[in-house]
Amino acid sequence: MPTYEELRAQAEQARQPTPGPQRPLIKVGVTTCSRAVGAQETLDAVRKELADRGLEADVMVTGCWGLCYAEPIVEVAHLGRPAVLYGRLTADKVPQLIEGAVATDRVGVVPELALAVLADEPLEGVPPLSASGGLEFFAGQERRLMANCGVTDPDSIDQYISRGGYEGLAKALGMTDEQVINEVLESGLWGRGGAAFSTGRKWEFLRGANVTPKYMICNADEGDPGSFVNRNLMESDPHLIVEGMAIGGYATGASYGYIYIRDEYPLPVERMEAAIRQARERGLLGGDVLGSAQTGARPGGFAFDLEVVRGAGSYVCGEETGLIASIEDARGMPKIRPPFPAQAGVFDMPSNVNNVESYANVPLILREGAAWYASVGSENHKGTKMFSLSGQVQRVGILEVPLGTPMSDVVMGAGGGPPEGRALKAVQPGGPLSGIVPASDVGIALEPEPFKERGMFMGSGGLVVLDDSNCVVDLAIYFEWFAEDESCGRCTTCFAGTRRLLEILKRISSGRGRSSDPEIMRLLADTMSYANCVHGQAAPTVVMTMFSFFEEELNEHLYNKRCPAKVCRGMVRYEVVHHSDKLPAAEAICPTQAVVRENGSYRIDQGKCIKCDACREQAPYAIAVVDEFGPG
Amino acid sequence: MTKITAGPSHTSRYTALDPVPGDVELLAKVRELIDDLSPDNAELLTAFHRIQQAYGYVPRETIPVIATKFRTTPAMLYGALDFYSEIRTVPPAETVVEWCSGPACLLKGSMNIRRVLESILGCEMSQNTDDGAFGLRLVQCDGTCHLAPLVRREGRYIGPLSVSDTIRLARELKGEGEPEPVPESGGLKAGEGQPAVESAAEQEGGGA
Ligand SMILES: Cc1cc2nc3c(=O)[nH]c(=O)nc-3n(C[C@H](O)[C@H](O)[C@H](O)COP(=O)(O)O)c2cc1C
Ligand code: SF4
Ligand code: SF4
Ligand code: FES
Ligand code: FES
Repeated sequence: MPTYEELRAQAEQARQPTPGPQRPLIKVGVTTCSRAVGAQETLDAVRKELADRGLEADVMVTGCWGLCYAEPIVEVAHLGRPAVLYGRLTADKVPQLIEGAVATDRVGVVPELALAVLADEPLEGVPPLSASGGLEFFAGQERRLMANCGVTDPDSIDQYISRGGYEGLAKALGMTDEQVINEVLESGLWGRGGAAFSTGRKWEFLRGANVTPKYMICNADEGDPGSFVNRNLMESDPHLIVEGMAIGGYATGASYGYIYIRDEYPLPVERMEAAIRQARERGLLGGDVLGSAQTGARPGGFAFDLEVVRGAGSYVCGEETGLIASIEDARGMPKIRPPFPAQAGVFDMPSNVNNVESYANVPLILREGAAWYASVGSENHKGTKMFSLSGQVQRVGILEVPLGTPMSDVVMGAGGGPPEGRALKAVQPGGPLSGIVPASDVGIALEPEPFKERGMFMGSGGLVVLDDSNCVVDLAIYFEWFAEDESCGRCTTCFAGTRRLLEILKRISSGRGRSSDPEIMRLLADTMSYANCVHGQAAPTVVMTMFSFFEEELNEHLYNKRCPAKVCRGMVRYEVVHHSDKLPAAEAICPTQAVVRENGSYRIDQGKCIKCDACREQAPYAIAVVDEFGPG
Repeated sequence: MTKITAGPSHTSRYTALDPVPGDVELLAKVRELIDDLSPDNAELLTAFHRIQQAYGYVPRETIPVIATKFRTTPAMLYGALDFYSEIRTVPPAETVVEWCSGPACLLKGSMNIRRVLESILGCEMSQNTDDGAFGLRLVQCDGTCHLAPLVRREGRYIGPLSVSDTIRLARELKGEGEPEPVPESGGLKAGEGQPAVESAAEQEGGGA
């Protein structure tokens, strides 16, 4: 088995992704997000354009920077010059790019297409990709977990190793298991999957279990809608997770691991499986990890291997006991804890469940040390956290910031806030169980306490932004629908509770709310807090935070039968309010022939109208959404 | 590197099944597909995925075959199958439109899109039309929220969609070339609340 030094030397020798003389390096990010907007076609077009023109260049696939809003992204690097990122580079723009950035002698920048330059200073008016000014989306970011994202080829173990990858594992193998756990404890790392429990403590529990085999489980179910940070890591830097799990295995005495990936994530499955295969080939997984039998890290060496399990579409399989049941082939129903996984986990054997991002922190802690790790963050929370930003923001994407960063820096700064002309209304953090933060609190620190104080959770990293065109009651209906739909059905409190909440909210949104409804919902929430797992317990959070922070809006629905944002369908209707030359277009687009022409003027047939908004899109001046009940 | 030794607890309830009637060829193919899997390795979900990959769904008649392979009962197996929303037991429609149910899409107007798809294609969400020509499938957010609101068709993402775009798409799928008296509205997206001024003429003419 090769030692780490041998692997490192081998990796450095493998051709490194740097531009050569007269040979630029072109990187194309290919991930789920970018493929959705044609990155694969861009990659093909780059290769074809180079071949057609007989140009010399290296083309490389990378993961992504998290700049979803600007995908597909192509990077062009020339020897001795800062590399330039080009954004929204669909295949049709490839000829222009190759002409301007590769074919011409002056190895120039194409400012019309450029997004950012990988340097500290602007270049030909193109902003730098730096945390201290430059591209807005990068402002305030601290890229540690994401250091390789968009930079390296996720399918290349050599690139990972040559940038310090697996050094953490090598270091760990030179320490005792107790020392490794102490290092993790000292860093203060806590689980990123939602519950924020100390990772080191959890590992201590597993280490203390004296039954074997023990298992390391990676929770890559990422079921919270609007969270996609785990996906980005798996697609862009899969070895980071493999390494983190192997270190965990060594520290706890686990010999095998499962990575449970949700069914909606086919590309992460591919990339994680490829990473596992490569790690095995290099002796970083298997019967004798990094030649540990000879170096005497542990009597008989350290043996560890991994396997990917693909989920099949179930939110509660993200709950750790549900996940374990699903790995065991059963219905993925959460169980009552205790016993905790460290006592009886997968196949009743001691197990440890951590989130993708939790594991991904570990190699960095081991490589750079707990002190380095704790050098960023807030008073009580060290390290960084990844967030995915979506909804009503100008820039959708993924970023990594120190814990404790004001949420407004992310939402309003990096994300640019809501679209032009609209006002921020709220931020929905971390999934269906987490609650809704009102705009007035957008400045709270991104760490667990400020959320807890408000009866919410920070959750796993999703930040979904609402503006004044959105309705809080409507969002609550969505989340209660989701909670009801995904309830595993074990507890009546949960499946019937969510159903009742949903019924009541739907009734309110259709203008048939009753003054007794809030009290019933509070009572339900109280009862549901006795459900077996957090799914049922926290399902009413969104409704409760609506009571706390959006009471006026709720009461408007309840007592005045009015939806201020004009979203709740039962409380609005479409009317022709002006004459306009766009009304024929409205008539033509209407899917139900509800825009009726009579004696040269138009009206909406309310019996036919399904309130889809298409006519108003066509004729926004002539057609308006008006309140169904009471004065418009 | 010790792998599991204990099989899932429910295998203990296994009793051999009688040979199952059904499409002999299909059943033989399915047996072949899952031949290398083992109940001891907890590979039932893998079996479902492989079969669905091959046929677009897990045909009900294959359940006893899978049960036999995994030394469990069809009831147990059906229980597991039924639990997972991405495993289907009815054949997919000829044309399937996947509609994202996620929050970013919701806030950007996905409900309007759903409504027109249901109305024009003639089927409810998560259903197929009676003739099997069209089907609507509810999917969860996969983090492509920069395209919200979106639908997917044959793996292709379509978004951000306005309601008008969606209507045109649905009509096209139905083969209804629609008479368009005016050029497209150009970029106005669903839910972008503020009414834009349409033309100077109507501003003057229609103000009253
Ligand atoms: C309904 C429900 C869904 C959950 N989904 C996830 C998930 O998708 N990913 C995740 O890491 N944790 C999820 N969790 C939290 C896990 O139960 C568990 O706390 C976590 O995986 C532990 O890892 P950590 O300590 O690294 O955070 C979920 C919990 C509940 C109650
Ligand atoms: S609380 Fe809900 S999801 Fe959790 S075990 Fe009970 S029924 Fe299942
Ligand atoms: S809202 Fe939709 S259904 Fe109603 S009139 Fe307008 S286009 Fe037709
Ligand atoms: S571009 Fe990679 S996560 Fe969106
Ligand atoms: S909410 Fe639809 S893609 Fe995320």
